[in-house]
Amino acid sequence: MTTILWDTNGTEIVKTLSAERRAAGALASGLALTLVVVADEEHAEEAQQAATAAASAHPCRLLVVVRRRVDADDRLDAEVQVGGRLGANEAVMMRMYGRLALHAESVVLPLLASDAPVVTWWHGTTPDKLAHDALGVLASRRVTDATALGADAAAALRRRAKDYAPGDTDLAWTRTTPWRALLASAFDDMFAEPTSAEVQAEAGNPSAALLAGWLTTRLKIRVRRTDTAGPGITAVEVRFAGKERLRIDRPDGYLATLSRTGISDRQLPLRRRDLGELLGDELRRLDADQPYADALSAVTGEKNLDDRPPMRTLVWWDPTGNSRSKAVKKTTPATTSKAPAKSAAKSAAKPPAKPPVSGAAVAKATRRKAAEASKAAAGVRARTAKKVAARRSTGTGE
Amino acid sequence: MSHVVAGGSPGNPLRDVRDRRLPRVPGPCALVVFGVTGDLARKKLIPAVYDLANRGLLPPGFSLLGFARRDWGDGEFADLARTAAQEHSRTGFRDDVWSRLADSIRFVPGSFDDDAAFDTLADTLVQMEESHGIQGNAAFYLSIPPPMFPVVLKQMQRTRMADNDERGGWRRVVVEKPFGHDLQSGVELNKLVDDVFTAQDVFRIDHYLGKETVQNLLALRFANTLFEPVWNGNFVDSVQITMAEDVGIGTRAGFYDTAGAARDVLQNHVLQLLALTAMEEPVSFDAESIRTEKTKVLGAIELPKKLADYAIRGQYDQGWLGGQRVVSYLDEENIPAGSTTETYAAVRLDVQTRRWAGVPFYLRTGKRLPRRVTEIAVVFKKAPHLPFAATDTEELGHNQLVIRVQPDEGVTLRFGSKVPGSAMEVRDVSMDFLYGEAFTESSPEAYERLLLDVLIGDATLFPRNEEVELSWKVIDPLEAFWAGTKPELYRAGEWGPRGADEMLARDGRVWRRP
Repeated sequence: MTTILWDTNGTEIVKTLSAERRAAGALASGLALTLVVVADEEHAEEAQQAATAAASAHPCRLLVVVRRRVDADDRLDAEVQVGGRLGANEAVMMRMYGRLALHAESVVLPLLASDAPVVTWWHGTTPDKLAHDALGVLASRRVTDATALGADAAAALRRRAKDYAPGDTDLAWTRTTPWRALLASAFDDMFAEPTSAEVQAEAGNPSAALLAGWLTTRLKIRVRRTDTAGPGITAVEVRFAGKERLRIDRPDGYLATLSRTGISDRQLPLRRRDLGELLGDELRRLDADQPYADALSAVTGEKNLDDRPPMRTLVWWDPTGNSRSKAVKKTTPATTSKAPAKSAAKSAAKPPAKPPVSGAAVAKATRRKAAEASKAAAGVRARTAKKVAARRSTGTGE
Repeated sequence: MSHVVAGGSPGNPLRDVRDRRLPRVPGPCALVVFGVTGDLARKKLIPAVYDLANRGLLPPGFSLLGFARRDWGDGEFADLARTAAQEHSRTGFRDDVWSRLADSIRFVPGSFDDDAAFDTLADTLVQMEESHGIQGNAAFYLSIPPPMFPVVLKQMQRTRMADNDERGGWRRVVVEKPFGHDLQSGVELNKLVDDVFTAQDVFRIDHYLGKETVQNLLALRFANTLFEPVWNGNFVDSVQITMAEDVGIGTRAGFYDTAGAARDVLQNHVLQLLALTAMEEPVSFDAESIRTEKTKVLGAIELPKKLADYAIRGQYDQGWLGGQRVVSYLDEENIPAGSTTETYAAVRLDVQTRRWAGVPFYLRTGKRLPRRVTEIAVVFKKAPHLPFAATDTEELGHNQLVIRVQPDEGVTLRFGSKVPGSAMEVRDVSMDFLYGEAFTESSPEAYERLLLDVLIGDATLFPRNEEVELSWKVIDPLEAFWAGTKPELYRAGEWGPRGADEMLARDGRVWRRP
């Protein structure tokens, strides 16, 4: 059952959803979680397909938010779907135009399944700071995808590390799981001391970086990265004291060969998984992923990721050129510009990690933050534009 | 259910308890299946092995060895295995997964008394140590009729295949029910198996314990505050455990006619469900603690003094089931005329502990009952005082917590609720939790879970020999009492013989309709 609502509002969607649920007899059905998918128009179809595939394994309410042009007139279109093709699931696809896109949470909040965990997944453009997106702040688990951001994996991972809070995770990390499982089981009966390791992958593959980071943290050895033609990760090799060697080759992204000193080679499937499978895998666990934090930390050098507070506070951020020019011109935006004023108020409301020394120090810090934020905003916009261009040229970014 | 054993070796630097993404994967090993052409192997074991491979839960060096009396080569066996996996796998058949698995499938033909065949088998295992790196690790699955057990075990002893030290790895054996046919034979079998292997390497499969809901029973009881406070004789009126099948005896006539419902099902599955329902909280979730608690409960079971009133058995007569006419037990193929084997058994047991004093456990199992269902129903006492007029609560029954083991795995809670309207009227309603709806992934087949546990060496879900012996101590007096009597007939397609209803009526209760 699908209902399409043109030029509607949040209340109407809530009403339609509950009417549809009643009609489908699903009122008492259990929903394990709410999955919020944030996508741009270009990736909306792909994102919805992946989310639907993932949802088939995890009964959930699917809320797809497609943000359209911010400079258009405010408008909300929605499509409500319960049961049918979706099995035990229900989905609301929303297109938000104009300034409404910046306040998407006002529509999403009343649609969250009661007292169930919320997972937000960005497919396509991801905010540099997840705290800039209210849809990320309300989630207990936030899924990004460094691979989708185009070629500069190192920069993408650095951004994620700077911004990391427990409960963040990245599909580039999910992609390493089959490799890690294979390596771990091969290590079950290798008792020699590992001395060095190498990860070979397509240039700029963030999964390769995270895999190398993981090997570094677990084995306490240097892990070299070598570029190959891909696809994805093509080989991992670990050398041990006493000339023992373990190597997994996967040149075609499909079939792997495991070779070990003293044992004949074995072939086994090590297929690159599609987006739906990755996301489904990601939804399996909803707690903070410390091994990811460790690997990310090893890759980027950011320390103590796990000690950060798991909750984010919304930091108001306006991506439109309008407020950027205002923010850059006005050095004291708090009095005149509406948007940065909110930013200052919000950052002040954010619980500081350490107790403040004095009120004045806090005020000073807040001002500095606001100024930094507006400066960062300008840079980010330029970078984002570049990234979008890069992604278009490389296709899906996989 | 949490597990202390995470799989793999403890010193592995790549294993991290916080890393919950990495699956529990056993070390390199071989699975040797005796009687691999049988029904169980084709319908359950081979598909389970395939499903494990498809989920990436088998180690790179995994090998499957089949042993059976067929004049076959590896290729013919691989074909049979492929068909079995295609027809019965849960996760969907993929050629690439299969072709990798097929590479490490071997077949050794021979009969169980053929020394040469067993020598070949032992040699093949040694070869695979080198070619597949299985390092002497092997699990032997005895999917064979119980009379063949001693023969096969003696062969393994002779070839030293069961010896852990001989090959430097682990050697485990998996035994299917029946674990004997009475206490004495059960003890003998245990002794035999424990002699050839060491006791901790013997895995007795009770596939019910591999079911998700059964494990959830422990989570439900011990992870919540809501249920444990009322899980005792102060609040519980009685417990009903039902395991009903709609099918007849199928092709198992030979075995079934010598065993009957009590030995076939009551002795293992149903008593295990009782043990998990009634046991105290284990001090931890490792295999030994859980098995210790189960053993205590099984040891505390007391049979009713008047067995004539509380041990009922029945045999199905012809009737209609699911719109089809079905024949009586006596008319089934290969059943001797005048057989007095029961196809239905219902019994009242008491658990003599402080927690359960005065709470009867009613167990029943049968074939050709209206539908296939297994459930545990905990029936609570009625409220001691009802501030309503008697007519208002006429339709209010006992509160119930029902654990549905199969099908529709889940939990139902039944309680009274006001009927909408101006009058005060209370009626029973139910609140449902359905695994398929609320969870996250489709539950693995019991055999997948249990095979994986065997290869990893986690014995939590396997009853130990003491449990088997204590269970026989419950069943033996029943069998002795029934010996020489004729079971009561019930029509195929109804919920058992009249005697079973009278048994509950005697206690002022009725069977729940599952």
